[in-house]
Amino acid sequence: MNRSLAVIENLGIAFSGEDGKPVHAVKGVSFSVGREKLGIVGESGSGKSLSCRALMGVLPPSASITASRLEFSGIDLLRASPRTRRQLRGGQMGMILQDPKFSLNPVMTVGRQIAEAVRLGDRRLSVSSIRRRVLEVLESVHIRGPERVYDLYPHELSGGMGQRAMIAMMVVREPELLIADEPTSALDVTVQAQVLEIMDELVRRRGMGLIFISHDLNLVSRFCDRVLVMYAGRIVETLEAGRLAEARHPYTRGLLACLPAIDGPLTPLPTLERQADWREIPA
Amino acid sequence: MIEIENLNVRFGSAIAVESVNLLVGKGESFGLVGESGSGKSTLLRTVMGLNRNWTGTIRLNNQDIRSAGRAALVRTAQMVFQDPYASLHPRFTVGNALAEPMRINGLPNISRRTAELLELIGLSQDYASRFPHELSGGQRQRVAIARALSLSPRILLLDEPTSALDVSVQAEILNLLNRLREELGLTFLLVSHDLAVISYMCERLMVMQNARTVEVLTRGDLRAGALKQDYTRNLFRASLHGVRPGVQP
Ligand SMILES: Nc1ncnc2c1ncn2[C@@H]1O[C@H](COP(=O)(O)OP(=O)(O)OP(=O)(O)O)[C@@H](O)[C@H]1O
Ligand SMILES: Nc1ncnc2c1ncn2[C@@H]1O[C@H](COP(=O)(O)OP(=O)(O)OP(=O)(O)O)[C@@H](O)[C@H]1O
Ligand SMILES: [Mg+2]
Ligand SMILES: [Mg+2]
Repeated sequence: MNRSLAVIENLGIAFSGEDGKPVHAVKGVSFSVGREKLGIVGESGSGKSLSCRALMGVLPPSASITASRLEFSGIDLLRASPRTRRQLRGGQMGMILQDPKFSLNPVMTVGRQIAEAVRLGDRRLSVSSIRRRVLEVLESVHIRGPERVYDLYPHELSGGMGQRAMIAMMVVREPELLIADEPTSALDVTVQAQVLEIMDELVRRRGMGLIFISHDLNLVSRFCDRVLVMYAGRIVETLEAGRLAEARHPYTRGLLACLPAIDGPLTPLPTLERQADWREIPA
Repeated sequence: MIEIENLNVRFGSAIAVESVNLLVGKGESFGLVGESGSGKSTLLRTVMGLNRNWTGTIRLNNQDIRSAGRAALVRTAQMVFQDPYASLHPRFTVGNALAEPMRINGLPNISRRTAELLELIGLSQDYASRFPHELSGGQRQRVAIARALSLSPRILLLDEPTSALDVSVQAEILNLLNRLREELGLTFLLVSHDLAVISYMCERLMVMQNARTVEVLTRGDLRAGALKQDYTRNLFRASLHGVRPGVQP
């Protein structure tokens, strides 16, 4: 990894609980990402989405955030104006949210939304070449019948089509940093491989940085360069992706054991006996 | 328990499900896999009576869904949607979301059942007062599963129920679903793109591509790699290709 694109240091995110006392959802999280594929895995509710939303600047209003450093491309995000942050979101930073249909505009057809992204990228393009580009990119994410899909509204897409529409939009925008929150969870394996190839190409050819949140450990270990493991609001381990099998933290090791296999036994799957001391950062 | 004959579903001029036949026996767990956009969710939604424009016959527990009333249907079958946002009302707290179907159907002991359901999905009781947007993706999915179970249906239609979950919670949910199927004699129709999940959960499965059935397989066929169609073989190969980073002995 060469220069860092984004740096997070000592990030904390809290909500006010029932009794008004703060509930800490993210605690002391630090990591940086360069022009690489950084995977984040971890238990449901461990703070993966929130940490990334903090970087994007799209936390819910009820969240209170603390950090000693939050930077993107040399810009101090803690001091940046709302306007700067909005511009970054529309330009150099992109995020594919966990619920893709939720992040698409529900009252605009998919084709028009992608066309808008194409137009912003190059304002000299004619209407017909914009349309051609949109159809091209829909095809590149292996959507069948792009002409028909162009005119569909988000609620008329299948789960996996929604994810691919989001990915298409990011491919068009070519952000410097892409945060992808479970971007392929609804795709079958063959389509998934093709879509990952596209993201990989953005990293290799355009030098994009990718933060890839996924619960699919096999996928992350094959696809990413490095992996962060989160548990209960903290990063408990950082590994080279290919060596995920050598994970030391008991939570990470336990995770690997929970996976069913095509030819595996039909007895109940092993589950995790969560230990209180897992919440501590290992030495 | 689920009988589908010559089902066709259209959206305008596009056909989303074409000439599909399916028989799922009582207590059976049947898997549905296939290409993204091939009509899996549409099939489930149609069985739940959520689509209008379809032809063919669908019977659930020997009731034709065209003539059976809505109330009878929801007691027979419940669905867990692929997109948990779609199934949870944004202004209902988790507790209300779980209690509401029971209230509408006049079930007794609602608050106790609500507490039990939360326990079942591994969320503490304080989650009852949270709204959907205050949950993580996987927590929302678990609430959707609990809600589907609240009316003790005979049939569960599960659309990618664990694809938003980390593997430890997935293992818990799959174990839970299997236990409930055994204890309550439930019938499952389960959509997943994860062949390992299908192989673990289902006795038989159907492969779909482009609105049509590609083939129907038994678990034994899947495990032995005894596949007849190229599409399925590709799917199978791509799944194995994802080598398991060895679980240490
Ligand atoms: N608006 C909110 N109000 C209160 N708590 C919240 C809010 N949003 C998230 N949380 C809590 O913060 C914790 C972390 O949430 P986050 O969405 O980051 O989890 P995650 O790691 O992405 O999980 P998943 O894999 O299930 O998506 C969760 O316990 C969640 O319930
Ligand atoms: N309300 C709708 N209006 C128009 N077309 C629709 C509608 N709902 C679904 N479709 C179309 O029907 C086809 C099948 O969609 P469906 O959601 O059933 O796919 P799926 O197999 O569940 O895919 P995935 O694995 O991606 O979830 C898609 O081409 C989709 O665009
Ligand atoms: Mg999340
Ligand atoms: Mg679907």
